[in-house]
Amino acid sequence: MDQNIAERRINIVQGEQRVESDPSVVLTTILGSCVAACLCDAEAGIGGMNHFLLPGEDVENRPASSALASQRYGVHLMELLVNALLKKGASRSRMQAKLFGGARMIRGLTDIGEKNATFAEKFLAAEGIPVIGGSLRGDFGRRIQFWPVNGLARQSLLDSEKQSIFQEERRIVAKPVAAAGSVELF
Amino acid sequence: MITTVLTVDDSRSMRDMLKHSLVEAGYRVIQAEDGMHGLEVLNSESPDVIITDINMPRLDGFGFIEAVRKEACWRAVPMLVLTTEMDTEKKLRAKNAGANGWIVKPFDPVNLVAAIRRVTATVAGTAD
Repeated sequence: MDQNIAERRINIVQGEQRVESDPSVVLTTILGSCVAACLCDAEAGIGGMNHFLLPGEDVENRPASSALASQRYGVHLMELLVNALLKKGASRSRMQAKLFGGARMIRGLTDIGEKNATFAEKFLAAEGIPVIGGSLRGDFGRRIQFWPVNGLARQSLLDSEKQSIFQEERRIVAKPVAAAGSVELF
Repeated sequence: MITTVLTVDDSRSMRDMLKHSLVEAGYRVIQAEDGMHGLEVLNSESPDVIITDINMPRLDGFGFIEAVRKEACWRAVPMLVLTTEMDTEKKLRAKNAGANGWIVKPFDPVNLVAAIRRVTATVAGTAD
């Protein structure tokens, strides 16, 4: 971090992703059960962050098809981030990840934070992208700052704001992707 | 006869999800991890349908479609693009290269299988 450069802070909300190569940019987000994947190709100076919550907090009790639909949505969001990095010039083989979030929700309900954390870990393992840091699970909210060009990240815990963060996340329904699943035959 | 589908995508997670959905629908699935690998697979396999991503290393989806269509034996095999892209110009480019359809991720298994059935039926009808 060059202290002489004025920082430009960009907040990433649920369902969004952003890729940057500008050294003045800091990507920020606040997480409860949601997960933020922070990917970086430090050699190319390109990084990005997403912020997602897989749809269906009662996945265990839903038909297998619904659980798979949730997985497809998650894979899609992760692919959008990876593709955005590749388009900016990052190399898949140099990408490294830090994962944050996935905290436990209100006791008694399905641990959707655990499901999101496990999904993100499995996805990155399958894609061969090493997870070199971060902080997953637990029962506290997190404020994350991520410097995309070098992959540095800073986390602050938000004990007192925990309940409001979780309730806010649950109110936000996963955004349908425009034209998702659409088929056009030529 | 079991229909064989070649899926070409650089994401292993996406290949796995595609395979799961297509095998469940009764298809045989073979996989390639980019366009170059897809061309290698075509040396030894004879898929009835090809589903390809666009953004891939080594050889992207456009290059892959063009290379496949250059081979006389593969000119008629239906090719569907499955991508995160929604850009009209890219869609037109794929169409001009020889693709038969464009599907936007995340895919719906029912719609995907319906698209496969339609393009294979069209090819069979043309052959008759």
